[in-house]
Parts: sequence; structure tokens; C-alpha cells
Amino acid sequence: MTGIETPLILYAKLILLTMVPFVLASQGTMLGGRTGVFNVAQEGIMLVSASIGFLVSFYSKSLTIGVISAMLVGGLFGLALAYFTTHLKMDQFVIGLALFFIGVGLSTLLPKLMIGVTLTPPLIPTLKDIPIPLLSKIPFIGEIFFNQNILVYGAVLVSVFLWWFLYKTSFGLSLRSTGEYPQAADSLGISVTTMRYLTAIVGGALIGIAGVYLPMVYTGTFTDGMVKGRGWLAIALTFFGGWKPINILIGSLFFAGIEVLSYKVQVSGSGIPYQFLLMLPYLATILVMVFTFKRSTIPGFLGQNYDREKRSL
Amino acid sequence: MTIMAKSKPTILNTLIPYVAAILIALAAVGVFIALMGFDVLKAYYTILFTSFRTPNGFIQTLLKFIPLVLQAYAFTVPLAAGKFNIGGEGQLIVGAIGAAAVGILLPDLPPLLLIPLVLLGGIVAGALWGFIPGWLLYKFNINEILTTVLLNFVSFALINYVATGPWRDPAAGHPTTIPIGRGGYLPLLVDNPPLHAGIIIALLVAVAVYFYTTRSTAGYELVATGANPRAAGVFGINVKYMFVLSIVIAGGIGGLSGAIEVSGVQHRLIEGLQHNFLVLGLIIGLIAKGNNMAVPFVAFFIAVLEVGASAMQRTLMIPVEMVFIVEALVLLFVLLSDVVRRK
Amino acid sequence: MADTPILVMKGIRKTFDKSVALDDVSFELNAREIHGLLGGNGAGKTTLMNILYGLYKKDSGEISLHEKKINISSPRDALHKHIGMVHQHFLQITSFTVLENIVLGTEIHNKYSMDLSVEATKIQALQNRFNLAVDLNISIGDLPMGTRQKVEILKALYRGAEILILDEPTTNLTPQEVDDLFKSLRVMVDQDLSIVFITHKLREVLSVCDRISVLRNGRNVVTLKRDEANEEAFVRGMVGDEMDIQNSVIFSRGKSGQIGAEHIRAEVCLHLDQVQLASQGSVPRLKDISFKLRHGEILGIAGVAGNGQRDLAEVILGITLPTGGKVELDAKDILAMPTNQRLESGIAYIPEDRLLDGFLPKASVAHNLILGFHRKAPYSSGGFINWNTVHRTAAELIKTYNIKTSGPSDVGGNLSGGNIQRVLIARAFSKPANLLVAHNPTRGLDIPSMDFVYSRILEEKKKGLATLLISEDLDELLLLCDRIAVLYRGELVGTLDRSKFEKYEIGRMMSGYRAEE
Repeated sequence: MTGIETPLILYAKLILLTMVPFVLASQGTMLGGRTGVFNVAQEGIMLVSASIGFLVSFYSKSLTIGVISAMLVGGLFGLALAYFTTHLKMDQFVIGLALFFIGVGLSTLLPKLMIGVTLTPPLIPTLKDIPIPLLSKIPFIGEIFFNQNILVYGAVLVSVFLWWFLYKTSFGLSLRSTGEYPQAADSLGISVTTMRYLTAIVGGALIGIAGVYLPMVYTGTFTDGMVKGRGWLAIALTFFGGWKPINILIGSLFFAGIEVLSYKVQVSGSGIPYQFLLMLPYLATILVMVFTFKRSTIPGFLGQNYDREKRSL
Repeated sequence: MTIMAKSKPTILNTLIPYVAAILIALAAVGVFIALMGFDVLKAYYTILFTSFRTPNGFIQTLLKFIPLVLQAYAFTVPLAAGKFNIGGEGQLIVGAIGAAAVGILLPDLPPLLLIPLVLLGGIVAGALWGFIPGWLLYKFNINEILTTVLLNFVSFALINYVATGPWRDPAAGHPTTIPIGRGGYLPLLVDNPPLHAGIIIALLVAVAVYFYTTRSTAGYELVATGANPRAAGVFGINVKYMFVLSIVIAGGIGGLSGAIEVSGVQHRLIEGLQHNFLVLGLIIGLIAKGNNMAVPFVAFFIAVLEVGASAMQRTLMIPVEMVFIVEALVLLFVLLSDVVRRK
Repeated sequence: MADTPILVMKGIRKTFDKSVALDDVSFELNAREIHGLLGGNGAGKTTLMNILYGLYKKDSGEISLHEKKINISSPRDALHKHIGMVHQHFLQITSFTVLENIVLGTEIHNKYSMDLSVEATKIQALQNRFNLAVDLNISIGDLPMGTRQKVEILKALYRGAEILILDEPTTNLTPQEVDDLFKSLRVMVDQDLSIVFITHKLREVLSVCDRISVLRNGRNVVTLKRDEANEEAFVRGMVGDEMDIQNSVIFSRGKSGQIGAEHIRAEVCLHLDQVQLASQGSVPRLKDISFKLRHGEILGIAGVAGNGQRDLAEVILGITLPTGGKVELDAKDILAMPTNQRLESGIAYIPEDRLLDGFLPKASVAHNLILGFHRKAPYSSGGFINWNTVHRTAAELIKTYNIKTSGPSDVGGNLSGGNIQRVLIARAFSKPANLLVAHNPTRGLDIPSMDFVYSRILEEKKKGLATLLISEDLDELLLLCDRIAVLYRGELVGTLDRSKFEKYEIGRMMSGYRAEE
């Protein structure tokens, strides 16, 4: 390898690594939205999952159990969202905000109660790269694509699976119909309620993994507010990707690319005040919305509750 | 969410669900506190009565009330038009930057000039910050929820830049600017413990918002827009303009809250001066169900809890976030009471 | 035993909140019959059939099928019992293809690859059998209404429906398409289906049904065979005893053919000249629209829904700006005038989609009644709303227009559909106007209320009001208009004078054929 190629490979590898929380949180959002459940609690769910996932890993000494606990926490928040909106027909956005608040509150409260304030932060080991036999030996590509941590592979597989599931199975067709026009789905015997619960819970679990990824890959510890708006950015990414799994996966490369760029320029000593580089991901996202929001297709009943007995006026 | 009051409820009927929500939330968290091995009764006594036992407690509560009520209005005014402003935090920070800039650049003006200018600097800066998502909504139809939130994160970097730039106070360890001119300090209503005149400004804003939204013709258009933008547009209301106007007004109110923090409390720009006012403001606005008449009362209640929470952390070592959970649960149960009533 | 009922509904009761929608209603359906379910809006026809289809839960009552008591708690149960329903508003997913819409929710042969060839073959067999040709691979949103209805019927047949419920199936059809539909219904009955046909149009039930049941205010009135039918009895059954049929617009004025042509004045009120509205796609939304509407005249705009009716109304109101042409009100160019000024200068508007375009569900009834007039005296002065005046006026309008509500401060969302329509009508007539643009103004109203609206329009006509009546209900247009123009894909394909009114001629124009001059 020559001297120029190595940093390029590292950049590419870093982008894939950084893409994971965006992909997972965004696919989770997309999945719920496809049945009409619009989750806006991502930021809170990611924080509380990161917090609890970290604590569980710390005490159990097992990252696997930590990931599972984060999934459960995310799924539980998804369940709550589904219950309040599908069962009790409460406003999806308001409930989403309330869950966001609870997530934020719990994320700082629990470490304080469990660990207290310490001088040196408690650490967990970070996820290790798992080289795929043979494939990881391919020049350039191998290092970028086949020598990553398990959740990078997982995020890509989840995206492809969701595409197949939504577009190539009859269950997926039924599922999508509940988000496009629940009356129509219901009139054909498809249970709107079941679909909404299912996707809200699974979607929440995906968002939970996105959250716990941060302490497990980036920092090894939980710090207050460490999600830094990635939950909100994931919503923007979902719109950017037109609520389609593969487009979201591709779009996440862009979001991750901006984040890596912001970070790399900061350490390169370019003379640009680092605060302006910190703004970059948010400003870039707003700019992206300017160009893509109008064209974005969204599920027809996104964010709207369905009440079979409510008479159309 | 219904913005208008339902057909003439009695005060008692309105209060019962709120009281019930508070009691259930306290009970739920109480169980948790007890399980953690703390003294529940002592904790709740501290939370609920710190504000009323000493003059200091009461004045602390009023000081907390000022930014909270303003943040709540920054949320509820656009809500009346059906728009969600989650950017009160950024508007506060940018307002604080604007106020501090005026106060630092014109340090020698007399109070009669400098105080209004500092406040105006905050209002204008906040309104401009609010104008960005408003304009994006107007021009490109971009959802205001995401833009307002994302601009908060931009403002975090911005305040850090300003507080570590040329105006930086070299003596401070934390990113902080030099103080604004003495003439920019808000006068004190009570000297000891100190209570600044921001409370009067906050109450004036409350009255103005009330008259604007319920009595004025412009407020009618705001409410009609929120009730059904499509129909409002069909019947001659420029709804896009109402959207932008509501977010700009909210930005101005948010900016004012930042200016008061600078001119009344800190007398300089300090990174982190926004605390968690945004989230509390949202909770207040949602508990009040967008009703601008109810906002000051809810804000006072939350201020009581917040002051009590700090005392509880000091004396009983229970983290303040415990009270935040109480507040979020109160919100959830207040919302639930609507469902119960529907049945 | 041809007359043994296969389906019996007995003592059905249904309430929504506090209002009783159905009270002790019974219904019987025989094998191989077309059974008309007749009644005005709000009579409970759709509610009764939604219960049979499992969409609504009944409070009490019994349903039996083939003499066995059955329990239907969801559409899934109904489909399982071979009951199918075609709703008035098509329950179709516009972004899916016809094929996907039809197979949605059924067992699919290749369920893990979505290769639907097996299903397509089955559907093609059904299409041949019942003569319902539709291209299966087209996105359903691109199809005209008449074709979309065929898809709805195919959906039910594909699921093996033996009892087929059709809710106001003729709403969006031209007279020719109605005839075709009736022919298909006969084919289905010949092939052993039984059909429930919901409608508020007496003429339709008389022409296609074997038996007819009339509902009014959620109660049974009468069930008769067509041979025993006496038109008078049905009319009385539908409207009740209180309405003065002899002096009603609907049942007497229309017949006499006299609608007050003598009130038409010479002055032109509204003049559209070569109005264009370009769209992003290739087909313009409005093309070369020109007409003159005089004071005291009622001009009808006929057409199948979605052919530019809404755009036409919105161009006149200034909600949408045309890309070419002129719009004049009383010989004054109003193109530059914003909507609020047009409303203030005497255009009254009843929009088509009352919930979306005309009503503020989250605001009070008083808020709703002044919408559009809120900037001017007496409602507003000095930048403030005069709430006392507003509430007084609102209370009067509520009384005059018989709006069922607890008062001016009641939240709009509490009102029923018919009452919301009354609010829209009260608002339109609450201020003196020169021009009324009314789009489907009687949709959702019961017959006495419809008649009230018609008589109000005719009263104002005498005083010189010009009315542009855009309606998808051809009978309404034939009843009221001095002239009818037909809109097809954004173009006026012809205009007929009242003396030349002929249903099938208009029907041809509604499918795009130009008028024979």
C-alpha cells in the first residue's frame, strides 16, 4: 500500500463505523412510520438505552447483555408509544415528546444513582473489529468492509432484511398498507393495532441499539447528552431516505461522512474555529432538507391515529 | 391537541385531573425513592415546601419562574398556530449572546438607555434565530420541528465560540465573557435576597400573550390557522405568514429570556446558562395544554418543584433528576386524564 | 323457496356517544336479490351495513346467516362469512397497483417473493366472468373513478363474497357508467350473489332493486317489493311527516321545470375568460375556461369528481392563481385581489371538502361562523375581535340554520358531519353576497336540510345572487340550474340550456365527448 491509500482506507472505514447509529435509529423510525407510528423520541430513547446498556455492561461485564438490555429498553419505549397512541389514541407527537423527556431524565438519573459521581469515569471495553475470514484479506475493500465491529455488519444486514421484508413478502405488503391507509387495511381484515405495536416495539429496539453503540464503540463510558442530536438527525435522515430501507442506508453514508469530516478537520489544524466544525452536521442536515424534503415520499397516514368507529364527518 | 377551552368547565372540574396527576406521579416516584433507600416523606416535604418556608426559597422560585414561563410561551405561541417550536433553547442562547454583545459594546451607557437596549438586543437576536426556521418553513416547506431542534445544537457551538473569543474573561475557568456594562444590570426589586425586575417583564409578557391570542383579530387568525391551516387559507388568512410570525414572536420571547439571564442574573455570557429551561418550558406548555392562561400557574408549580429538587439534592443527596421524572410523569398523567374523560 | 331470507338482522341498536344512530332496526336479505336500502343522509343505512361488515360494534341485536346466529366483530369475520362491502369512499391504497390492492391481506401463493402471477390468473378469470376489465399492473391512483369502483368490486369477489354490500355506488359515475354497473349487478345476481344496494336516490332503487327497505332517523320505515312500489310512499318514508312535499324544491319545483328564469338579469356578475392553470405534469389543471355568469342566474358545473372542479372554485376565490386568462367580478378585474378581499367584496364560498377546506374543528363554533369575515365590522374593530357581537350573531345563526350544538363556544369537532355542513352554509349566507360559489353544498345533509339549502339559493336568486353550483350530483344540477356546463380534464366540453337538459347527453360530455352544437 502506498502512503496516500492508507488514510483513505481509514476514512472509509471510519465512515462505515460512524454510520451505524444513524442507520439503526433511522430504520427504527422508518419501520414504525410504515404503519403510521411516528416516533419522535429517538434522542431520549438513544440516551436512556446508552445509559442503561452501559450500566448493564459495566456490572455484568458482558457487552452482549448490554446490547440486549438496550434493545429491551428501546422496545419498552416503543411499546409505551404504541400503547398511548394506538390504544389510547393520544397525540403521537406529544407522547413522543413526553417519552423523550423521560428518556433524557432517566439517562442521567440512573448512572448517578448506581455509580454516583466519580473522578475517573467507569469504563467498559469497546466492541472489537471482527475480520471476516478471506473477505477481509481483499486489498482496500477488505479492510473497509470486512474488518468492522459486529454492529456494522448488523446495521447493513438489518437494512437489507427490512427491504426484503417490506417489499418482497405478503406480510410486508399488509404492513405497509396500514401506514398508507389504515381504513383500507382494516376493511380487509388486517389488524392495524397489531402492526403498529409490532413495528413500534421492533423500531424502538433498533433505536435502542443505536443508542448503546455510542458508549460501546466511541467512548467506553456514558456521559450526559452524549447522543448530541443524532436522534433528531435520524428523523431527518428518514425523510431524506424517503422512508425506504436501502435509501436510508445510502443516506446514512452522507450523514456519517459529514460527522467524520467535521471531526477530521478539527484535528487537522485547519485554522477554522472548531466550533464552526461542530455546527457542520446540523447545518448540513438543514441544507439537505432544503433540497430533499419536497420530493420525499412519506407514508400516507404518518403520525395519525386510527379509530375504526370514528365516523368520517 | 385542542387549543380552545371546552364549553365552560368549572374551575374545580379543571383542577381535579391536575391534582390527581400530581398525586399519582408523586406516588409512583415515591415508591422508587423508597426502594432506593431514601426517606420519601422528607424528600417530598423538601420538594414541595422549600419555596414557602423562607423568603430566600420564595425568591429563588420567582427567579426560576422567569425563564420557565418565557420558555413555555416560546412553545405555546407557535402551538396556537399549530407549529411546534422546540428551539426555545437556541433562541435563549442567541438572545443571551445578543444581549451580552450590546452590554459589552456599549458599557458606559446609563441604565435608562442600556437596560432597554440589552433587552432589545436579546429580543432581536432571538427573533432572528426564530426567523431562520420560519423562513425555511415559508420558502421550502421544511418541517419546523427538526430545524428548530437542530439550531439548538448550532447555538451550543456558537455560545462556546463567543465565550472563548475576544470577549473571553481570562480569569474564569469555564467559557465566560467579561461582564456587561453596569448600566445594563436589571434593577433589583428586593435587595436581600436579590430579586431582579425580570419578574415584572415576565408578567407583562404573560398579559400581552393572553390579549394577543384571545382578543385580537391577529390572534384570531393565529388560532384559526392552528385549528385548520387549509381552511384558514381558503378563507383568506395568509397562513404561511402566520406560521413565520408565530415562530418569530416565539424567538423574540425566547431571546428575551436569554437577555434577562444576562442582564438580571449572570451579568455576563456563560456557557450553559440555558440549564434545562427548554425541556421544562415544553413540559409546562404541554401540561397547560397550550392554554396561555394556564401557563403562568403551571410554570410557577414547576419552579416550586425545581427549587425543592435542588434543596433535596443538597440535604438528602437525592439527584435532582428524580424531580424531572416526577414532572414528566405529571405531564403524562395530565394527558391521560383527557383520555379518561373521553370514555 | 326463493323468498327464504339468507341473512337476517334483528333489533339492531347502535349509539355514538350520546346520539342514537340505529334504534331497533331489522333487515332481511333474500338469496339472489338486489335489495335497496333507501334513505336520506343520516338515516343510518351505512351504519347498519358497517355493523354487518364488522366495522362498527352493535350495542344490541342479532344477526343470523343461513338461519344460524353469527357474531361479526371485525371485517375479517365478515369476509370469512363471505360478506363483502364496497364503501362509498374507496378504501384503496393509491400508491399500490391494482393487483396489490386486490390481493392485500389474502393468502399469497409466493409469499416470500411477491410473485403474484398465480393470483393474477385467478383475478383474470373473475374479470371475464363478471365482465370487469381493469389493467392489473397500474397504480390505482392513476385510474378514473369508474374503473376504481370495478377494482373495489373485484376485491370483494376475489375474497369469495356471496353477499355484496354497495354503499352509494353511483356517486362518482356518469349515467352511462351507472347503467353498466346495474347490468353487472344483474350478472352477479344471476351467478348466485345477493346484493345490498345503499342509496339516497329513489330513481336508482326503482330501476335496479327487487326489494326496497326505507330507513329514516335510524329506524325502519317500510320494506316493499318493487312491483308493489308506490313512489309516493317511498318519498314520504324517506322524508317523514313534517316536510311539506308539495311546496318542496326537491319534489315539486323540479318537476314543473320552472326554476325562475325570469330573475336572470342582464348584468354579468362573474366573467372568466380563457383561464389557464398549468400543472407540473403534462396535463393542465384548467384549460381555456371561459363563461359568463349573470346576476340571478344559476350555472351548474357537472363532471366526475377530480376533473378540475376544485381548481375552478379556487381560481375564482383567489386561493390558486391562474397561469393565464382573466377573472372579472362585476366587470372589475379581480386577479390581483387576495382571497380575503374577494370574500369581503361579496363572494360567498361553500368549499367541497368541508372538513379539510371549510371548517376549524379545533376552534369554537363562533370562530367558525365568522371565518373570512373576522377582519371587518361588526366582528372586529381596532384590531380586536368584538366577541359579544360575534357570540350574539353566532347564536342567531345556530337557531336559523338549525345547527345542533351546545352553543357558540362549543368546540367545532363535537359537531356531526351534517351540522358542520350547516355551519358552512350559515356562514355563506350570513352576509349579503353577489356571487355564491357552492361546491357539493348538500353533501351529507338529510332531505329536509337539502331542501332548505335549495330554497335559500332560489330565494337569493330572486334578489339577484349569481350562483356557480359545482356538483357531482347530476340530479341536483338538473333540478336547480339555468344552464349546465360540463368539466372534463380541466376543460369545459360544452354548455346546455335548461330547455336542452338531457341526462345521457350530459353523461357523454362527462366522459369527454364534446357537445353537439
